[in-house]
Amino acid sequence: MENNQEYDFIIKNLNLHYGDNHVLKDINMEIKHSRVTAFIGPSGCGKSTLLRCLNRMNDLYDICRIDGDIFYKNININEMNPVELRTKVGMVFQSPNPFPMSIFDNVAYGPRCNGIKDKATLKEIVTTSLKKASLYDEVKDRLKDNALGLSGGQQQRLCIARAIAIQPEVILMDEPTSALDPIATSKIEELIDELKQDYTIIIVTHNMQQAARISDYTAFFLLGEVIEMGETSELFANPQNEKTEDYITGRFG
Amino acid sequence: MVIGLVAASAIVIIVLFIFIKGISPFINDYQGSGNASLLKFITGFTWTAGNYGILGMLINTLYLTLIATLVSSPISILTALFIVRIAPKRLSASIKSVIELLASIPSIIYGLFGMAVINFVVKNIGNLFNIQTAGGTSGLSTVIVLIIMMIPTITMISITSVEAVRQDQIHASLALGATKAQTDFKIVINGAKSGIFAAIILGVGRALGEATAVSMVCGNAITGPNLNLFDITRTLTSTMMLGLHESSGLDYDIRFSVGVVLMFIILLTSVTLNAIKRMLEKK
Ligand SMILES: Nc1ncnc2c1ncn2[C@@H]1O[C@H](COP(=O)(O)OP(=O)(O)OP(=O)(O)O)[C@@H](O)[C@H]1O
Ligand SMILES: [Mg+2]
Repeated sequence: MENNQEYDFIIKNLNLHYGDNHVLKDINMEIKHSRVTAFIGPSGCGKSTLLRCLNRMNDLYDICRIDGDIFYKNININEMNPVELRTKVGMVFQSPNPFPMSIFDNVAYGPRCNGIKDKATLKEIVTTSLKKASLYDEVKDRLKDNALGLSGGQQQRLCIARAIAIQPEVILMDEPTSALDPIATSKIEELIDELKQDYTIIIVTHNMQQAARISDYTAFFLLGEVIEMGETSELFANPQNEKTEDYITGRFG
Repeated sequence: MVIGLVAASAIVIIVLFIFIKGISPFINDYQGSGNASLLKFITGFTWTAGNYGILGMLINTLYLTLIATLVSSPISILTALFIVRIAPKRLSASIKSVIELLASIPSIIYGLFGMAVINFVVKNIGNLFNIQTAGGTSGLSTVIVLIIMMIPTITMISITSVEAVRQDQIHASLALGATKAQTDFKIVINGAKSGIFAAIILGVGRALGEATAVSMVCGNAITGPNLNLFDITRTLTSTMMLGLHESSGLDYDIRFSVGVVLMFIILLTSVTLNAIKRMLEKK
């Protein structure tokens, strides 16, 4: 394997089946370090599935079979401990899913699981993470309150803070704004814009404008295949493939 | 609606009946034996014909139930966790049906098992440490029988609440780099805690009210409390169940007074535990 610092993920000949359902077909892809990559495509085309491959969350499904290789920073992820991989590759889910515990405990959850016990260190991590997730000012006086009392948008930013707290290098986001109103959505988008300085971000979205606004690279999926991938500005201005053009101009999907 | 009303009024009538029977020993004059003293009843430690003190056995009842609860709860919770989260599907299905079966076995069978097996084991354990037991009938046997009876109840209801923990919470935890074990304890048990607590409350109710099996292994001590687990003991229920074989008179009616106390204790325990449960949920 060539020693390549430019890419965080290199995906080679990836095929994935859920039972008899061939969901990902021969995927080859590189994910650039410290950039935002967007996955777009119609429902059911396998975007979330590919995202889940990257932190090995598909391991949880018995019926899932994966062929091909994924390298994370030049290491085959199948040779990594999934727990270790997930501390480097964080994930934010489609609908906000904070734990039914205090705001503080939510953010401290990952670090605690990783063995950090020192109160001062934890407090420091929680504060920084909440600040990075642009949530600190809104919650600083009620860190002990239950996280379920927050609004949907705040909950999603809390989930981002929670993912940041494990100090990952990559953050996977599966339609992080689909359950949110426009104001909360634009807050999250601003946040992603700030976060991309420190993290590699891969985001699944159904919202074409969102992909165009926030991403550097875009991959267009159709029926389990990557039809086209390239710089976002290029792909939206000059789609090479007819199907891509149809999709981004809204002619189907 | 109508059924609810019928059920509710049936309960009221039963409670009222027991209550009226239960206060009669303290107010009515029984030919030959007079009446019982309420003060002695509540503060006395000895139970013989004409001398009715329940404080000792009241302490026994709470003591034995507490120990049985402390042992059976963690076992049940871990069993539920094992069945839902760890065991392969077929194994967990078979354990589950065994537990359902155990929950449906009548208490007299547990009593027989206690007399035949547990007493024997306890006797031998006692011998091992040079402790003389009354053929094994003891507080320890009682506790063990209670534990065996509580586990299926607590486990079954815990299973339901462990299963109800949402997948997205489990996934969120794993995605944060938590191990499976950390996820099971911090997210699954924590998320199921109010259901688990309800299960424990039900188990405690069952233990406090269990009469048949307990009577068969406790030995019915005359005085109490009996805090040494190798000594024979006596509980509120075993007192009601055995000992005095008349069908009328003071000896007979005073058992209803014990029943009133038992109902009161069960009510009090359940109210207290439910209050704790609500506090836990708020957190
Ligand atoms: N856990 C699973 N078990 C079985 N099949 C699954 C599972 N997850 C996804 N699939 C199937 O895989 C295919 C791709 O699903 P996936 O969720 O990756 O699509 P998607 O592109 O994210 O769609 P959407 O935009 O609606 O989220 C679908 O046919 C889906 O039914
Ligand atoms: Mg999806």
